[in-house]
Amino acid sequence: MPLVRRDIAKPAAAPAGADEAVARGALRSADPDMRWNAARALGADPASVAALATALETEPVARVREAIMTALMRIGNQESVKALLPYLREQDAAKRGAAIEALQALPDATAPFLSALLHDADSDVRILAVELVRGMPAAEATRLLCDILEHEPHPNVCASAVDALAEVGTRDALPALEACARRFADTPFLPFAISIAVAQISDAKG
Amino acid sequence: MHVSPEDVRRLCEFLYRRTGMLFAEDKRYYIDRRLHERIAATGTQSFQAYFALLRSGLDSEVEHLVNAFTINETYFFREDHQLRCMTSDLLGAVIRTKRPGDPIRIWSVPCSTGEEPYSIAIWLMENFPDVDNYQIEIVGSDIDTRALAAAADGVYGARALMKLSPALIARYFESVSADAHRIDAGLRDSIQFTEVNLIDARAMAQHGRFDIIFCRNVLIYFDDASRRAAAENLFDCLHPGGFICLGHSETMSRISSLFRVCRYPDAIVYQRPEAERDHD
Repeated sequence: MPLVRRDIAKPAAAPAGADEAVARGALRSADPDMRWNAARALGADPASVAALATALETEPVARVREAIMTALMRIGNQESVKALLPYLREQDAAKRGAAIEALQALPDATAPFLSALLHDADSDVRILAVELVRGMPAAEATRLLCDILEHEPHPNVCASAVDALAEVGTRDALPALEACARRFADTPFLPFAISIAVAQISDAKG
Repeated sequence: MHVSPEDVRRLCEFLYRRTGMLFAEDKRYYIDRRLHERIAATGTQSFQAYFALLRSGLDSEVEHLVNAFTINETYFFREDHQLRCMTSDLLGAVIRTKRPGDPIRIWSVPCSTGEEPYSIAIWLMENFPDVDNYQIEIVGSDIDTRALAAAADGVYGARALMKLSPALIARYFESVSADAHRIDAGLRDSIQFTEVNLIDARAMAQHGRFDIIFCRNVLIYFDDASRRAAAENLFDCLHPGGFICLGHSETMSRISSLFRVCRYPDAIVYQRPEAERDHD
């Protein structure tokens, strides 16, 4: 028989908290594999959010950054969200995209920060905030996105909101969409996008 | 017995934290049925008493609950295009880095009741010309200890064998009753079965590194965070250049950017890159 069998030992149990303390230290190791293992060991430890956030700021290796973000996602509390939010302003598209992906996975923990993000001075941040709203329950997403359509001065942010409404919006969005089309009558692409969103929402069942 | 939505939410949160498996409100019927089974089996008589037992860690109740919630319906040579891909393409790439007599390690995780690791073994015996030239080690792992016991026992009904030819059944099984066959003792003894939770990095690492991992139709039960944690653990358990096969409805590209997509004639699989960049 060419098949062989070797026994695999069960992992030894470590004293509670010992692993996490060691792993937090290892996040500062010069060895990327040590940092990678450390990040993966901290995904169930809310006390490690600060250490993970600090590590994320300077981590040069994409694989380790991804593991740190995964650990923050798994912890998934508001402190994790606070650690991820600065990356919405990141110039590097990959880092920005990774942060958005992580925040989208944490809708409940992100919800308290949405209002501030949707009113951020930077229109790019407001556009990314719309992406976070997209993942929320339809009624709440519709409410927030309609609020954008009513007050948002930047046509690109409104366009993002229109796009999200086309996907998740309810019929409650129709008056706000029509008002937005009138407000941006001089920006032809927006009334056109709105006409498509209105048709999609009107045709949707339910 | 009344179980409130809040009770169900607490139970699901507990299960999620322990296993990464996510059960939403739309699975309420499924959850209720299994919960009531466990409450009856433990004689706890109320959700509160049952949940207290669960949290206490007594009587291996967490293990029993996980066993009740896992799904173990599978059959031999399921998605055999991936087995074909293994012998047509993946092993060719793997043995380029090996010398004759070296180990080739293959992991079936989750392995459920053993159909997949035994299928891999049979497929290799039948279709891999170099099967005698390497030490091939197949490991089957699952979170469900009841399924693992069935896998080690190796007895299967006609439904599990439906894709196997009579010749293969005759070669690798013995009949134990009118409707049951037991896998050959040599194959049974050559596969190691172990308990593992895909999101437990330490338990996963204990298994060492593999050349090929079959991880099919399980990540769909996880939420985004657990899926990513599992993907990172699987990445860590692959040799650089090693391959992972997912279920036909799953794609690693939406879970993690760690892997390289490999399109072969028989299947799309994912590879741990051979050389990794230490910096962007």
